[in-house]
Amino acid sequence: MSIIIRISSKKKISPFLAKIFILLSIVGPGLITANIDNDAGGIATYSLVGAATGYRLLWVLFPITVALIMVQEMSARMGIVSGKGLADLIREKFGLKVTFYTLIFLVFADLGNTMAEFAGIAAAGEIFGINKYVSVPLCSIFVWLLIIKGDYKIVERVFLAGCSIYLSYIVSGFLISPDWQMISTSIVIPNLNDITMTDMPLIVGLMGTTITPWMQFYIQSAVVEKGIDIKHLWHSKIDVIVGCLFMFTVTLFIIVCCAATLHSSGVVISDAKDAALALEPLAGKYASALFGIGLFNASIFAAALLPLATSYYVCEGLGWESGVDKTFKEAPNFFTIFTLLIFIGAMIILIPNINLFKILIWSQVANGILIPIILLYIVKLCNDPDIMGDYTNTPAYNIFSYVIILFMLIINISMIYFEFFN
Amino acid sequence: MSIFDKFPDILIHFSKLLGIPLYSESNIKMGTLSDVFVDYAEVYPVALAIQFVKNKQFFYVNWDDVEQFTYKKIIIRNSIDIGRSRTFPKVNKKPKSYSVLSEQFTGETTEYPAIGKVILDRQIVDTSGKKVVRVNDIQLIKTGKNLRVTHAEIGLRSMIRRLGYEKFVDGVFSIFAPNSKYLYRDTQINWKYVHAIPDKSVSKNLKINLYNDQITKLHPADLADILEELDTVSRDQLFSDLDPKLAAETLAEVEDEYQVNLVKNKPAEEVAEIIGNMDTDDAVDILDDFDIEKAEEIIANIEDTDVQDDITELLEYKEDTAGGLMSTEVFEVSKTFKKSDVISLIQEKDEDLETIYDLFIIDEKFKLQGSCTLRSLLIQKSDVMLSEIMVEKDIKSLCPETHWKEVASYMSKYNLINVPIIDNENELLGIVSVDDLLPWLLNEK
Repeated sequence: MSIIIRISSKKKISPFLAKIFILLSIVGPGLITANIDNDAGGIATYSLVGAATGYRLLWVLFPITVALIMVQEMSARMGIVSGKGLADLIREKFGLKVTFYTLIFLVFADLGNTMAEFAGIAAAGEIFGINKYVSVPLCSIFVWLLIIKGDYKIVERVFLAGCSIYLSYIVSGFLISPDWQMISTSIVIPNLNDITMTDMPLIVGLMGTTITPWMQFYIQSAVVEKGIDIKHLWHSKIDVIVGCLFMFTVTLFIIVCCAATLHSSGVVISDAKDAALALEPLAGKYASALFGIGLFNASIFAAALLPLATSYYVCEGLGWESGVDKTFKEAPNFFTIFTLLIFIGAMIILIPNINLFKILIWSQVANGILIPIILLYIVKLCNDPDIMGDYTNTPAYNIFSYVIILFMLIINISMIYFEFFN
Repeated sequence: MSIFDKFPDILIHFSKLLGIPLYSESNIKMGTLSDVFVDYAEVYPVALAIQFVKNKQFFYVNWDDVEQFTYKKIIIRNSIDIGRSRTFPKVNKKPKSYSVLSEQFTGETTEYPAIGKVILDRQIVDTSGKKVVRVNDIQLIKTGKNLRVTHAEIGLRSMIRRLGYEKFVDGVFSIFAPNSKYLYRDTQINWKYVHAIPDKSVSKNLKINLYNDQITKLHPADLADILEELDTVSRDQLFSDLDPKLAAETLAEVEDEYQVNLVKNKPAEEVAEIIGNMDTDDAVDILDDFDIEKAEEIIANIEDTDVQDDITELLEYKEDTAGGLMSTEVFEVSKTFKKSDVISLIQEKDEDLETIYDLFIIDEKFKLQGSCTLRSLLIQKSDVMLSEIMVEKDIKSLCPETHWKEVASYMSKYNLINVPIIDNENELLGIVSVDDLLPWLLNEK
């Protein structure tokens, strides 16, 4: 017994610290997922919103964040209680047919998303004067090797460290020194009178890039992988909330950056690269460079995680072997899917004179059709006592969820309408 | 008239049964087939009853009451008992044979879950291929008046069948590649190798005992791979059903990241029982990942006090040093021992010893005096004293602080299978054997 006492005096920690440690060990899935949300497409949308409308639409972030928290909380809870991924649960509850077509849509949507990431890499390169025919092939090879040779855990950790680059947007925001009072009023008080028809596609875009189908799969798998115990359900909720609030802050600052500079001087932009370049004369070289680095970080990690994650879900749902530690012979489908996603995603960006915009619209359409369906699955699964036991949704939670789904449906139908008919 | 009069097929796929309408003899529609109840107690389970659904409510009808069976419709006798339940109350007779699922269901009458609910679209363990797979379809065969389950189907063909493209894809293949393997063979698992892991909702209502021969006969390393591939709930369930010894062997093989998760939620006594069965070096690896209070509680619960002491000692060393790698289960003998003593000691202590390639001769104060390979002992006469044959000079040994890379190069240089670890006073602390180093060399740590 003497030896035991000796060890304990060496390593004993206070109960308060122990609680912090538990929290830290559980924090991660929510924060990472929320951060991948701010990918190339997201940054582009936020920049456009800031440049086109100034602070006027900031209040929209508030309901979006609440919806995101609720949706992700359900996915995280499902992961913890059932110990299974979302594709897994969809397969077991809704059968092979439903799973198959859902996954086909997911692959299609994620191919578009991967393209958007490579477009982001190309744009970030161009901010620093690097040709896309150099940056995109190099980055796609890097991303592919990272998946094949790298440890998934390490990739994720590097990514988490990379998330701190998002703080650069906040730094940018302070360097620009915007009108804080006006910002805070626009967040809290919705300015419904000034909404014009041209705002609608922007609001739709904001929601569409924030709540995406693959993230629901992602957060659930991340939670399952961590093996979080039901006892720590509450910590996981904090993780989700913290992650979403972080996303909220970063989004806010990107919009603010663009609003304070581009909007007030009337610059018209069409993508994130324009935003970064336009920032330079207005806010200084550093603000522009930080913006570029942030975009690059967001794009390259999403370009690594998205194809990999998609490949995992497809294999999980269809019962094919998966895992980067397997050989090609053991898991051929797994390797083929993510390699093709990266390869096709990068190649299309490199086709000269290609109309990227059209391709991205189609991927957004796939996302848009998929997300209400996925959310419906999630709510259905969350209400199944066979899966959730005592942790099913409360009726109030369900009502809120259905309202969110209804909104997503309306928003995505209108997104398709705006993009095709306007 | 017999039940299968208008049904010439022999092989039947479960997916094709779903949705067949049920009619009574007087041609009243009763519902549509939604699942089948089978007798899990048999090696190739026979169909006991049909589950059907009408207005979203579930009913069952005994197989014996089925009058006629075709893909178009199933006719059921008039005026028979129809149960309203999602499960089937099986009256238990003594099981004639053992099957994978049979022993899960014991008791007077047991509420059997339907086979589709337990197997279809779910992950199962293929105990023959030693893999976790997902079931696309279930194959049944017609035997006399009965249907029996024979295979779980997991291949591409069954997937395409479920998607409803079987005819189309078959047609394409028979035109362009008539000899393709696709047309003649699909990946299937014989039912006797199917090990299902029922859901919480199924196992909650059943006194479930997943102990079965097939799975416990697997090598712990294969079992560990299977555990890693399962989802967390099934993983915990399968692991909990292993007896402490097999659990210990398996746990040692499971990758680090899953190890703690498998045992962290168990009460200290249970963990202690598993860990007490492990080699001390593996046990310490796991204890290292617990917080200190839980680790102490577990150690205090280990029955064997020697093991307790060894583990607490080992916990002192860093994981990547000789001290962290070494096992304290050393074959220690005194120099006064004769060959016959050693042999009988081996027979007696076999269970506790990781390796016996080398004997280490110690004095009363546990100081290392010499070593002797088992080989050099075996070729001697039975009354030879260890003191006569042991090597005393220049014994290859290391101190516990040595980094694992140095341990590896040292062992490689002198071609050692084991290296004794001693402290400053020449006291024998333990041995590091080659297989303790392999994971580090293979970058698995």
